[in-house]
Amino acid sequence: MASTPTVADIGSDYNRRYGFHDPEEYFMRTPKGLSHEVVEAISLLKKEPEWMREFRHKALDVFLAKPMPTWGDTAMLSEIDFDEITYYVRATEKQETSWDEVPENVKRTFDRLGIPEAERKFLAGVSAQYESEVVYHSVKEELTKQGVIFLDMDSGLREHEDIVRRHFATVIPAADNKFSALNSAVWSGGSFIYVPKNTEVAIPLQAYFRINAERMGQFERTLIIADEGAKVHYIEGCTAPVYSTNSLHSAVVELIAMKGARIRYTTIQNWSNNIYNMVTKRAVAHEDAVVEWVDGNIGSKLTMKYPAVILKGERAHGEVLSIAFAGPGQHQDAGAKMTHLAPNTTSKITSKSISKGTGRSSYRGLVKVRKGAHGCKTSVQCDALLIGGAARTDTYPTMEIAEDQVRVEHEARVSKIGDEQLFYLRSRGIRDDQARLMIVNGFIEPFVKELPMEYAVELNRLIELEMEGSVG
Amino acid sequence: MASRPAVEAAPTLALEHIDALSRAAGEDAGILAIRREARARLTPFALPDRANHLWRYTNPARFLPDGDPTAQGPADVSPTWRLDESLSVAALLAGGALRVVEIGDAARNAGVVVEDLHRAAADGFFGTVVPAAHGFLEAINAAAWRGGVLVRVPAGVSLEHPIRLRLVAGDLMVPRVLVVAGEDSSFEIIEGHVGGGAASKVIGVTEIVVGAHADVRYGLVQRWEAGVTGHLTARARVAAGAHFQMSLASFGGTAFKADVGAFLAGEGARVETFGVAMGGEAQHFDHHTEHIHEARKTSSNLDFKVALTGAARSAYTGMIRIAPGAGGSEAYQENRNLLLSGQARAESIPELEILTDDVRCSHGATVSPIDPEQLFYLESRGLAPMQAARVIVYGFLDQTLGRLPQTTRERIQALVAARLHTE
Repeated sequence: MASTPTVADIGSDYNRRYGFHDPEEYFMRTPKGLSHEVVEAISLLKKEPEWMREFRHKALDVFLAKPMPTWGDTAMLSEIDFDEITYYVRATEKQETSWDEVPENVKRTFDRLGIPEAERKFLAGVSAQYESEVVYHSVKEELTKQGVIFLDMDSGLREHEDIVRRHFATVIPAADNKFSALNSAVWSGGSFIYVPKNTEVAIPLQAYFRINAERMGQFERTLIIADEGAKVHYIEGCTAPVYSTNSLHSAVVELIAMKGARIRYTTIQNWSNNIYNMVTKRAVAHEDAVVEWVDGNIGSKLTMKYPAVILKGERAHGEVLSIAFAGPGQHQDAGAKMTHLAPNTTSKITSKSISKGTGRSSYRGLVKVRKGAHGCKTSVQCDALLIGGAARTDTYPTMEIAEDQVRVEHEARVSKIGDEQLFYLRSRGIRDDQARLMIVNGFIEPFVKELPMEYAVELNRLIELEMEGSVG
Repeated sequence: MASRPAVEAAPTLALEHIDALSRAAGEDAGILAIRREARARLTPFALPDRANHLWRYTNPARFLPDGDPTAQGPADVSPTWRLDESLSVAALLAGGALRVVEIGDAARNAGVVVEDLHRAAADGFFGTVVPAAHGFLEAINAAAWRGGVLVRVPAGVSLEHPIRLRLVAGDLMVPRVLVVAGEDSSFEIIEGHVGGGAASKVIGVTEIVVGAHADVRYGLVQRWEAGVTGHLTARARVAAGAHFQMSLASFGGTAFKADVGAFLAGEGARVETFGVAMGGEAQHFDHHTEHIHEARKTSSNLDFKVALTGAARSAYTGMIRIAPGAGGSEAYQENRNLLLSGQARAESIPELEILTDDVRCSHGATVSPIDPEQLFYLESRGLAPMQAARVIVYGFLDQTLGRLPQTTRERIQALVAARLHTE
């Protein structure tokens, strides 16, 4: 890793110091490790405007200057070797416009992921990320007619630079944390969505993400803007094959809900159990806007993800509904943050976690009410289920309240699968393993019912898989 | 790393001063060794890191003594305190010394021992519950404490009347209390902190060793004068089958941080912590509670209520930890905050760390203003708005106070009522 720059270095003279040397060499894949040369290569390859190139370089300096977090699972965090990661890989060279043109091997991967033909027709658009570049992208004609923009982030920057420049990194600045700085420096792919005023996107927009090359990081950047009175539901689902060396995934997702807009962002994260998943997700909700994060964490080795809503306009509402499943060797460090800046804003956090074997799940949350934000209401509910004597669960909620005319509530419960529950189900002739699965499914039911049907089915299958062999 | 207090903020504490203090107090070599070991920990780097949430809301440098803490000269206090109420023991710590010890006949006959901690035979107990390694302020106390009391209740002894300790703050007070409850003993003990004035500082440590099957009700009542900046650490180690109840009541001082809790060290141990804090004006309260379940089939319950007026500020952090071997345990934790003014602020971080599956745990926290419907109801019954608010605040705190043993409860209820009428 390059030496830590001094403060005076940041933001000046990148061209002379790090000017691009050899574009051809990096065309398909940047070398392992992170440097200003790698950042320069990515930016040049994408033919980005100057401001984005500068932004990336500044972000890299911030990343190099910032220490690793001193909280959370520091033991696992220290295992990440930033020099062993490839920061940019491109699978195919040009954007595909129709399903037929997508290469056969990529299609096979999608088939295994379960994007059936019928579903494609049903869905508004499929933006599937294969390695670092979006290879397949189709937007249904009505959406285009409505004026909805649904592109991968790179195309979004090319085709709608004015909108991107106005909003990019306004919710999550590069210097927000070490991993957002990393993403800002090397981001590639992700989705860009703009929904015009008073436009309702009736069907969920979906994108499948996929990591495929060993030791390769994936750094999507997603920006969703719902203009006044607009409504959109975005779904992100992830799966990844198992590899022997650890891989890093560090996304940044920014949502902007203008006055009266409504955004729901649904994630099912099922990275393979060797992936570090460090995600920064934050939304700004203006007057009367509603932002909902529906967040499922099943996979990865270590996930650190705390979806946040900044309630900036009066009567805005924020909601986080999350489940986490930590199997043996996994640590799901997830949570939520709600920042009430305006009066009469409301928020709700519901977190459910299951720890199995040596799995550890943590809820880490923050509810903050700024002085003057009177009439706010917020409630936090955390439930944890433990399966096995070595399982661990932690609850770290923080409430900072600087206003008296508010109602803040936090509740958490931890339990194991009750012997009475098991006894009851067994007495009805249900096998032990089935009974356990039923109890777990019942536990996460409030989350599952918020998912579109096909995701609910997929999630139930995943839970069934994860629960195999849990008797005894 | 977050910013640390400047290096020069660390207290100067010369080793020869510690030796002189120990010699003058007539201590044995064991206690001096603990003092010296604690002194070795006092490097500026051992100051609490403010990035750690336990110190996020309160600057630890506030509590550091202004000068050499061993320089706390024996103040000229001549307090008189008689057993004018029904007490088993009355003891008074002031001006860096144990001033008064009154032991009732029944307690004396039962073998209850109350002695100066400097010269007490406290081997095997002293420093075992709150070691110097606990934290920076605890290390300062272990190195430089002056004025301490040992209370020892023999096995099987049950005391009808409470033991009352009164600690009077001076310019600087570094007191130390050690309570040893023998097996099957049963008693109530109240540690009351009073006195002080502008620029007073207190760094206190209390250790309570609860023997098997004992039943100890401990009250920690803080009602310093305005101006006091104080840090109190209290920990109990609770053996198998024993019951430990802590009542915490915080009223006074300008800046107060309490770090209280219990280790549930033996199978079947039970711990309850009930607390109320009333803050007004510019008071700053920071309470930390810990229930550490180390043994099987232990249970703990915590209920902590905070009512704030004026520009008062409260931070509450609570930890329940259930160790891997502590299956069959139960733990409950509740923190409720009532904000009675627009300038008041409350922070609440109730935490759980559960390392085994065979548990039942829950916690809850709320921050809210007075319910306008309750206010309306009382006003419709003819109560003036001020009276109605008092009734509601009293009712809010009384839910918790109702669970305390009678003597402590009555005392704290009276203090709450007095405080309500001065707001």
